[in-house]
Amino acid sequence: MNKSTLKIWGVILSYFLKTVIIIFLIISIWKLHWIWIFGCILAIIVSLVPTLLKRNYQITLPLVLEILITIALILHVGGGLFGAYSIPNYDTLTHFISSFLVAFLAFVIIYILHVYWDGLIMDKYAMAFVVVIATIAMGVVWEFNEWITDIIFGTNEQWGYIDTIKDLFIDTLAGIFMAIIGVSMIKRGSFDEMTEEFGEQIDKKIIKSKKG
Amino acid sequence: MGKIKNICRKRCFSFTFLLRIVMIISIILAVWKKDWVWVVGTFIGLFISFLPSIIKKDAKFTLPWILDFLIALVTILHMGGRLFDYYYTIENYQIITRFFISILVAFIALSMIYILDEHWDGLKMDKYATAFITVIFTMAVGVFLEFVKYLNVTGTYYVKTNHVLMLNLSADTIAGIIIAIIGVNLIKTGKFEEITDDFGNQIDKMVIERFEKRSAKKK
Repeated sequence: MNKSTLKIWGVILSYFLKTVIIIFLIISIWKLHWIWIFGCILAIIVSLVPTLLKRNYQITLPLVLEILITIALILHVGGGLFGAYSIPNYDTLTHFISSFLVAFLAFVIIYILHVYWDGLIMDKYAMAFVVVIATIAMGVVWEFNEWITDIIFGTNEQWGYIDTIKDLFIDTLAGIFMAIIGVSMIKRGSFDEMTEEFGEQIDKKIIKSKKG
Repeated sequence: MGKIKNICRKRCFSFTFLLRIVMIISIILAVWKKDWVWVVGTFIGLFISFLPSIIKKDAKFTLPWILDFLIALVTILHMGGRLFDYYYTIENYQIITRFFISILVAFIALSMIYILDEHWDGLKMDKYATAFITVIFTMAVGVFLEFVKYLNVTGTYYVKTNHVLMLNLSADTIAGIIIAIIGVNLIKTGKFEEITDDFGNQIDKMVIERFEKRSAKKK
């Protein structure tokens, strides 16, 4: 399968996933699940962010990132709407996908900064290491968010010690997984291809390096 | 100014020396109480505290005095907590110890990034990026420490509650942020280079140069 065919299939998948969220919205309206009506609307808005960025600011996110964002949203909204969070390890799966998304985003940002910004030059293995620690740190920030929410609003976001440790372990695994994929992609040159367009746009709009 | 700096350094060194004496007293107390687990624990602590001097003699190493001081302080706090049960009798003792452990971790991270930035071609980093990496590294090491506690590798009893876990992670984050802020200011004024200059040159000679030669041979 050549690159253009792969890109077409990626775009089809992206639209299919967005359609699934719209179907979820219709189901939640039909079932009058107000929380998930709100959740679906929010998910649709978030999934449309890449399109809005492209149209209004001429910034094209890598397609993989767009698809990952939509999958994470579908798993979360779908899980809540159909009660899938009661399925054993469903929560673990969604957490892993979200952490992988964060790790992917971290890798893309570090790589773009490395290529376009004079303030950062990094060996690929150092990048991988930073991606792992950044994913873990983001996991900690997420746990802070849940902890503070529970203290202030009396909710039950954090299920207990074991669950928090498990979440942090999943974050670590996702970070390591993305670091391995990222390094092998950089070696093959495919990471550069994937982030080239996005990198150039970020450079023009934000970094404004001599390359741009 | 040079004289004042020398006096400060000497005093800090002697303070580190005093801390080590306290640790030897701790070993004697542990033997007297026949608390053999803590005899071993205190010996390990003492060894870590003396490590800079041991390395310095054997491999011509000069660790920054702050690092020397922090290692000794953290070891004493930890051993005190175990030997005299301060972890259980003094409120928040555990959090304070954890905070200083994280301060030490953050300082090591900041020093290593700075040295690599100065001496290794594989890393060039802006001072604010360095500060950011210092914070997230400290947070990540904190999570790793929590994994060790959870797995109970050392066989030691730890309080395993979500509240304590979150307080520990908060201490790591705050320590990382504090060292990052201090670090950026020290880098700006050029003082951080003074602190890590000898250490950086030795790391460069002993590790980075060899690593780069090996990489060049492979290519």
